[in-house]
Amino acid sequence: MSKDNRFIALKKTPFHSRTSLASRTNKWYNWNGYTVPTEYSTTELEYTAARNGTSVMDLTPMCKYEIKGSDAHKYIDYLVTRDLSEMNDNTVAYIIWCNEDGKVIDDGTIFKHSSEHFMLCCAVKILNWLNDSAIGFDVTIKDVTDTIAALSIQGPTSCSTLKNFGADSLENMKPFEMKEYNINGYNVLISRTGFTGDLGYELWTDPQNAETMWDSVMEAGSLLKIRPFGMNALEMTRIEAGFIQTNTDFVAAEDALRPVRMRSPYEIGMGWLVHLNKKNYFVGKNALKKEKQSGTTERCLVGLDIDGDKPAHGSVIYNEKKEDIGIVTAALWSPTLKKNIALASLKRPYGIKIKDNIFAEIYHPEEIEYRKIWARCKIVKRQFYSPERRNNVPADLYE
Amino acid sequence: MSQSDYDVIVIGGGHNGLVCANILAKKNKKVIIVEARSTCGGLLDDQIINCVPNFSTEVVNALGGLSVKYKPKSTIALSETGQHIRLTGNQHIDHRSIATFSESDADRYVEFHNKMSLFSKTLGSFMMSSPPRVMNHNYSDYFKLFKLGMNVRFLGKKNFNEFARMIGLNIADELEDNFENTLLQGLIAHDSIIGSNLGPRSPGTVINLMYRMANHDNSIFGGNYEIEGGCNQLTDALVSLAEKNKIKIITSAKVSKCIIQDDRAIGVELEDGKQIYGKSVVSNADPKSTYFNLLGSENLDTDVKRRVKHYRSKGRVAKLILDLNSIPSFNNCDESDLESRMIIAPSIDYIEENYNRSKFDKLSDEPIIELSLQENSEGMKRLNVQVQYASYKVQHGWDEAKDQCINSVIKLIKKYSPEIEKSIEGKKFISPDDVEIDYNVSGGHWHHGEIQIDQLFMLRPIPGASQYKTHLDGLYMCGAGSHPGGGLSGIPGKNAAQEILKGTN
Repeated sequence: MSKDNRFIALKKTPFHSRTSLASRTNKWYNWNGYTVPTEYSTTELEYTAARNGTSVMDLTPMCKYEIKGSDAHKYIDYLVTRDLSEMNDNTVAYIIWCNEDGKVIDDGTIFKHSSEHFMLCCAVKILNWLNDSAIGFDVTIKDVTDTIAALSIQGPTSCSTLKNFGADSLENMKPFEMKEYNINGYNVLISRTGFTGDLGYELWTDPQNAETMWDSVMEAGSLLKIRPFGMNALEMTRIEAGFIQTNTDFVAAEDALRPVRMRSPYEIGMGWLVHLNKKNYFVGKNALKKEKQSGTTERCLVGLDIDGDKPAHGSVIYNEKKEDIGIVTAALWSPTLKKNIALASLKRPYGIKIKDNIFAEIYHPEEIEYRKIWARCKIVKRQFYSPERRNNVPADLYE
Repeated sequence: MSQSDYDVIVIGGGHNGLVCANILAKKNKKVIIVEARSTCGGLLDDQIINCVPNFSTEVVNALGGLSVKYKPKSTIALSETGQHIRLTGNQHIDHRSIATFSESDADRYVEFHNKMSLFSKTLGSFMMSSPPRVMNHNYSDYFKLFKLGMNVRFLGKKNFNEFARMIGLNIADELEDNFENTLLQGLIAHDSIIGSNLGPRSPGTVINLMYRMANHDNSIFGGNYEIEGGCNQLTDALVSLAEKNKIKIITSAKVSKCIIQDDRAIGVELEDGKQIYGKSVVSNADPKSTYFNLLGSENLDTDVKRRVKHYRSKGRVAKLILDLNSIPSFNNCDESDLESRMIIAPSIDYIEENYNRSKFDKLSDEPIIELSLQENSEGMKRLNVQVQYASYKVQHGWDEAKDQCINSVIKLIKKYSPEIEKSIEGKKFISPDDVEIDYNVSGGHWHHGEIQIDQLFMLRPIPGASQYKTHLDGLYMCGAGSHPGGGLSGIPGKNAAQEILKGTN
């Protein structure tokens, strides 16, 4: 930390000069010790950019760890529940990892440069966990959050924007692939990843290139409806895409004060990421195997399509006998789908075997008073929004 | 699953491994012992041990008898002035002995002895069987815990309060409250810290003493024995029993890892690549070696690795063996005194000063030592010296520190036996680091790990592995790292065998 930064409570990202210029509302919040905008102008406008043009988000505060060493591949495969033994170089994978009780600590993405070099991105700081897990493996783990500047470029015109920016033949990149580019004289890693459920990319570069990169990207997208994008709009897009958020939809196992609040992957709809038959042992396998065999999974995370248009923030979910069967973890009136959607954590068998006669009690705020709404819910797929272009190769291009 | 060559593979032929194997073989299990060294016995070796407690009667019974002769050893605390204190474990004799210095100390000693015996018996009742594992929500486990609770409660209100007061107490406070003679204080304090990484003023030393007493016939200074003919007599007896029970023993065969299939131990692989298959595997190795080497850190949950890493197993005792050409004389000691366990730890402060240095991995110029003279019919005369607070990974390394340690020990002995140096013909020094390498015990700890409240009962060696099971199905532990710990009782081996039989029948 430089001498001038010693007494600054919140750090500025390498894009700060640009994000602060773009901020019209002066709404900021603390993300992992950095100050970043919650919204730049209007959340709805930013959301619209992500769904109809290109959105640009400063992703730098996300926890990033560099994992290097001769055992790096073996170590990553051991750390996470997913079978990554066949993971290719220059690809990215969505992962979750658990503690010994098979409870989820966090989700994230793993970037593979080579079998001896990985980067892990996630929401919660976990350096200690990574280091303790590394006992017995030849790896070194470094927190590189401060040394890599990251931008998320999402939306239908994002590929065109980045082609204008200088990423040649980017349209041929498949989802979850990545490639090192040299653009305008500096290196930038581009991966086809994102948190909006649409076509999108993430850019990773040295902090010293951050400002020029921001300017070039903005310039490249000037005719493609580009707009900086804050955390509030991200929350909207990620709910539509059905992505879960640690410490919102579930409590990270390492943070939970009450053991009953910890969730297994099966309880948050991540069972598909657990490969019990993978060749090597992984952290939490014994517990997850036991849970799977004994069928003791207690909860599930489902998508709800709720009657009416009042978002069910924090609503309690009931059965027809008015018995409490769960809670809404995230809710939204979806402008694109024109639906009242929510993610809800329910006590099984509700949501799995019993899908009918489920109700949400919505408290709709109306100027200091609340209106109580009893709304019927339909259990639906959690990926509310998943356009075809998300996975198209070559990616859709716009002039 | 691959074909199993044996019912049980025992890794390590230490005394607990031998006990475990023998009990299993008596129940018609086909057993093999795989020993890394050229002979069995492990730390049950004259090179390591001065004197031993009696092998647990229950273990001997479970083995169907054992022909080993024990010779009781009394204890003598040496004083530079020649005013030694001699204790035997017999209350009447000890009372008289102490009374020559202080009438009040003598009376208090009897009271202290009775109190500690009562408490150690209460704890001892808990030691013969597997510790309960509350996480199991098993009725019999709850009952066991309830029984211990009741045992303590039934001590009566006065004793219960006293037990509660003492359980976390340091021994120095208790001794200073009771006794005026500093030599007596030093002697009891010595036996409360011996083998551990605690000083007399460290909390938990009282329970350390209780634990030691539970292993030594509930007596502070009795219950110390010498095996006639040396420690290998006990090993030989266990080995010949093994032969009788048709146990196969292979030596000079170091296991490199456990063979795991479908999340279960199905055998072992030796360093030369040879594989042996068995239905169960039991490790007599210390917990750190068992988990990190045999099981392998790539097969452990992170939380388990954390616990194993935290497991405290740094050895604190070195051994110096002096070969002598004649029986040395000690100031103011007669022949029978020379047959005793001779202790040089003249006061609590003396011990604490030593401990302070060891905290920083430094050696003391005036160490704490326990001497034991060994003779045999062939004319061998040997002075076995146990040096307390000789740190594992001592400052500057043992290669450099070794001579310094030997010199300060001999200089110290000279104060009590001025002529000793003339009779020394050979010296052999064994540091905790040597124990680690030569005996394959990580940390070189006597008891495979500290005997302290955080590593006792169901917490030994680590939570989740307390009933002789490890985190891998089919792999068990039977060494001193398991309940009730070290001390040459054979109980961990016996209890482990019973757990394995439970698991396979």
